[in-house]
Amino acid sequence: MANTVSPFEDPQERANAGVFGMACFIISLVMVFAATILAVVVVRLQDPGSWPPGGEVGLPPVLLASTVVLVISSGTMVAANRSARVGDGPGLARWMIATFVLAILFLMAQGIAWWELLDLGIGLDTDLWSWTFYVLTALHALHVLGGIIPMAVVTERARRHEYSVENHRGVTYVGMYWHFLDVAWLGLYATLWWATSV
Amino acid sequence: MTTIDANSPASTAVDPPVDNYLTYTRGILSWALTLDHKRIGVMYLFAVLSSFFVGGVFALLVRTELLTPGVTLPWVDADTYNEYFTLHGAIMVFLVIIPSIPAALGNFVLPVMLGAKDVAFPRMNLGSFYLWIVGAVCAVYSLVAGGFDTGWTFYTPYSTTTSFSGVIPVLIGVFILGFSSIFTGINFVVTIHKLRPPGMTWFRMPLFLWATYATALIQVLATPVLGITLLMLIVERVAQIGLFDPAMGGDPVLFQHFFWFYSHPAVYIMILPAMGIISEIISVHAHRHIFGYRFIAFSSVAIAIFSFLVWGHHMFTSGQSPLMNTLFSAITFSVAIPSAIKVFNWLSTLYKGSISLNTPMLYGLGFIFLFTIGGLTGLHLGTLNTDIHLHDTYFVVAHFHYVMMGSALIAMIGGLHHWWPKMFGKMYKENHGAIGFWLVFIGFNVTFFTQFMLGSHGMPRRYYDYMPEFQIYHVISTIGSYIMALGFFWTAYYLIASLISGKKAPANPWGGRSLEWQCSSPPPHDNFKTTPSVGDCYDFSVVHWDEEEGGYVVDRSGLPESEEKPSSH
Repeated sequence: MANTVSPFEDPQERANAGVFGMACFIISLVMVFAATILAVVVVRLQDPGSWPPGGEVGLPPVLLASTVVLVISSGTMVAANRSARVGDGPGLARWMIATFVLAILFLMAQGIAWWELLDLGIGLDTDLWSWTFYVLTALHALHVLGGIIPMAVVTERARRHEYSVENHRGVTYVGMYWHFLDVAWLGLYATLWWATSV
Repeated sequence: MTTIDANSPASTAVDPPVDNYLTYTRGILSWALTLDHKRIGVMYLFAVLSSFFVGGVFALLVRTELLTPGVTLPWVDADTYNEYFTLHGAIMVFLVIIPSIPAALGNFVLPVMLGAKDVAFPRMNLGSFYLWIVGAVCAVYSLVAGGFDTGWTFYTPYSTTTSFSGVIPVLIGVFILGFSSIFTGINFVVTIHKLRPPGMTWFRMPLFLWATYATALIQVLATPVLGITLLMLIVERVAQIGLFDPAMGGDPVLFQHFFWFYSHPAVYIMILPAMGIISEIISVHAHRHIFGYRFIAFSSVAIAIFSFLVWGHHMFTSGQSPLMNTLFSAITFSVAIPSAIKVFNWLSTLYKGSISLNTPMLYGLGFIFLFTIGGLTGLHLGTLNTDIHLHDTYFVVAHFHYVMMGSALIAMIGGLHHWWPKMFGKMYKENHGAIGFWLVFIGFNVTFFTQFMLGSHGMPRRYYDYMPEFQIYHVISTIGSYIMALGFFWTAYYLIASLISGKKAPANPWGGRSLEWQCSSPPPHDNFKTTPSVGDCYDFSVVHWDEEEGGYVVDRSGLPESEEKPSSH
């Protein structure tokens, strides 16, 4: 063997280190979203006018649906993780597929939200409100895309029953990341609501 | 000699064909796809030193242009000059100093010092190296794409309105470099938490590891803020609207806050690992137990925490409220406490030590001298009233070069000399090293001490043209930069020469006690054949010169039984 893929000999230790590494990565991402939200809050507080400046358009209602979908997908992810822990292979496959489908649904709903605003002639450069809307949703969507790719791999491996009680690191990592995306979206959504309605 | 590890006494070692990481496998692909932290460290080292050469060339161009007021080099007009100093700054900060110690030396040394086989995530480690390469290529591509003249700080609204079209490529480049830095940070944090062998308690770790640990925390927490700030800047430049654009109700000072929220901690990403190297160099080459181990360890962590609370001192003249300015000024002063703790502890370590005045030690002493000047001149800038005068003058340039170059980079070069025999298994010529050090040290001070005077007389930084009375200082400073360049070329020469014709390095040429000196030079592929046992890595009383070995050996028989046993305190 020319290359050592992991210096950990014990799979449990390796998984623990992986969880810890994932936690560090998520903390890093928390800083990204916290900074973004803070920037919006600072600028919004300095602006005495209403957001959006015309005041007639609000947030696309479909965002509420996408939020519900994402929260449910977090729930199915919890179920998938539990199945993996108790060694329920078919259950794991089922819940992973459900989570994956919900993730795609979420992205489609976000797409519809964009479409609705674009249809009204509101683009990225219309005003700071629309800028904020597009940048926040796009930032989150990019992270979702980054999560869907490993999730597709994990789902496929779950369908092939490649995970065991001892080794289901992939499911754990995807789950951690997915719950983070859920919470991050709730934060962004609340920020958008606040910025729009103040 | 053969592989020596902590459990096998040197005397029983016979000479089987020795495996070392350099010759373990052969071919370009075995390097390009390697997961070995030592090879990745060496690749980083090569990449960082190449960038240092490029950044250095731009520095020399800037200094040469400033020899006379107005045009000096016929092809350098004011715009080109702006590009040159911007490139110099961006390359040196993002491609050289930030990755130099953690990514290059840290990657090589950290797992070996810790007694681990590798970092926690070897594949992610290789991934961050390639991210670094992609980021560097983007930054270089920006030159072809039209260059950029924003200064390395990319302040708005200038960066969103300047007509130079290389701005977006370089922003993308820095964004990607940030990723590389975050992944390296995560890797080091997890490695230090999870891969310490039995007996390697937190307070037995060499201080370099404490320093890299504190650095890694900053990398993980601060770099993402830079990432999102640069992304917003890219969107703003493309869409011509954004949170930093006052025309639509945005706030340009917000950019400065966000930028410095990363970039001030980034200064500590540069200096903390440098301090870690100095703790190693000073104690090993003075053959004396480090003084105040816990104080140095905790002051690293304290500096990391303070680093997040002082960014506003870059913005005293940007229209912050007087209250904010006062608070930031006060917190800034308090950084002096952990920094001074370190300096005093190093001095106490030297006191009554038996100092080997070899090249790494020269760099170590040089660091203490230069860092003290750099640190103390920071007080002038942290004081609100003097900062109004000194702000954006050459005084600032001199100050941060003393800290970033005179301290961080000098420590990096010192660390390179310290671990060079370990990395490549060859000794450079000691007197060559000393000549190199003195050229660099004298050149550095001639270049930058002059700039303190230039700045306090009021010469603004970043100017292409200047009043004739400043010329004498500029001429002296430029001559200094040539001496320094000579020193670096000389250093490159004798280090490369040592690879070809250098004497073979013993496992422990300096008399170090930490674990990296207990495996052969260069280390074997797996670092240690068996899990090493750990003692007090600063107890040099058991380290003796062995004539037969041509290096130092740790005399295990003299050790108290308890010391070599895993302990849990």
